[in-house]
Amino acid sequence: MNEAVASQTGEIEGKWITCRFCEAPCLQRELLPGQELRCSRCDSTVMLHIPERSFQPPFALSLTGLFLLILANFIPILNFEVVGKSQADFMITGVIELWRQGYFFISLLVLFCAIIAPAVFLFCAFYLGFALALKMRPPGLALVSKVALAVRPWNLIPVYSIATVVAVVKLRMLGEVTWQPGARFVLAVAVMSVLCEQFSNRQIAYERLKELGVNIDE
Amino acid sequence: MSLSDRSRVNLSRALVVTGLVLYIPSNVMPVMTMSIIGKVDPLTVLGGVRELYDSGLALIAGVVFLASFILPLAKLLALAWVLFLHGSPKLRRERCKVFKIVHAIGSWSMIDIFLLAVLAAVGQLGALASVTAEPGCLVFAVVLLCSLIASEIYKPRLIWEGV
Repeated sequence: MNEAVASQTGEIEGKWITCRFCEAPCLQRELLPGQELRCSRCDSTVMLHIPERSFQPPFALSLTGLFLLILANFIPILNFEVVGKSQADFMITGVIELWRQGYFFISLLVLFCAIIAPAVFLFCAFYLGFALALKMRPPGLALVSKVALAVRPWNLIPVYSIATVVAVVKLRMLGEVTWQPGARFVLAVAVMSVLCEQFSNRQIAYERLKELGVNIDE
Repeated sequence: MSLSDRSRVNLSRALVVTGLVLYIPSNVMPVMTMSIIGKVDPLTVLGGVRELYDSGLALIAGVVFLASFILPLAKLLALAWVLFLHGSPKLRRERCKVFKIVHAIGSWSMIDIFLLAVLAAVGQLGALASVTAEPGCLVFAVVLLCSLIASEIYKPRLIWEGV
C-alpha cells in the first residue's frame, strides 16, 4: 500500500482528514477497492475503501450478542457441589455476594465490566450497525457513537468467560462442578462481542457517519 | 468534561505512579480466602497461580500468571516509559507503537477479579465451602484501573505535540 501512504506535504490539493489515532492531518485521496490510506506519522489506517455490506456483520453479531447476553444473565452458568450441598452460579450472583461481603467497589466493577458495559457496547454496535447499514440517521447517532467508543475498553465479557473456565478448574480440585447451559451463552456473548469488534471498522464507520452528516468530533 | 493536555499528562503520570507503587502490595496481600471443609486457605494472586501449577494445570497457571502478574506490570512500565519521554523528540514512532500495544492488551488482568466473583458466587455453602474477598482484591483492582484509565486519558497525539 506504499502508493497510498498519506502525504502531509500539502502540495497536492484535496481535503485534509485527521488520523483517528494520533490526530495528524493527512491528505485525502480517491481509493480503489482494497486500498487504504495510512498515516505517515503513526502508520494507522486513516481511510479505507468502503465495501458494500460493511455494516451488516456487526449489525447481525451485535443483535445476536444482545439476545445471548439476556440468556446468559438469566440461566445458571455452573453448579458447585460439596458433600451433597450445592450452589448455582448466575452472572449476577458474584456481584451480589461481593456486595454482601462489603466489597462494594469490586462488586460494582464486576457488574459494570461483565454485565453493563457488554450490554451497552452491544446495544450501541446494534444501533450504529442498523443506522449505517441502512444509511439512516436515527436520533442520538453521534451520542451513541461516542458511548460505543467510551465503553469499548470496559467490555470485558471475553475475560469473564476465561475467568469462569479458570474458576471451574480451581473448583474441581475442591468439589464437584457441573457446567450449566448459561456457560454456553456467556461464551457465545464473548465470541459475538469479539467478532463484533473485529468486524466494526472505526474508520469506515466514521466515514459513513460523515456521509450521513454526523460529526463525532464535535 | 474536557481535560487540558497538561492535565492529561499529569493525571496519567499520577495514575501510573500510583499503579506501580500499589503493584507490590497487590501481589503480596491475599485477594481471597477459600475455606473448604474446615481448611482455610488465604490466596494471593501468585498463590493462586502456584496452586494451579502444583495441581498439574500448567497451561491454566501460565494464562493466569501472564494475565494477572506479567501484563499489569508490563502495561504500567510501558506507560511509564511513554510518559517519561513525553515532550522529548526521541523515539516517537516507537512510543506510538508501544502505546498501540498497551491499548490492544486491554484489561485481561481483570481475570483475577472475575475469578474472585465466580468463586464468591458458588462459595456460599456455609461451613462446607466459603470464599470471602480480602482487602488485597481492592488494591489489585486499583492497580488495574490505574493502568486502564491512564491509557485512556493519555492521547497518542501528545507523543508528537509534547506539552
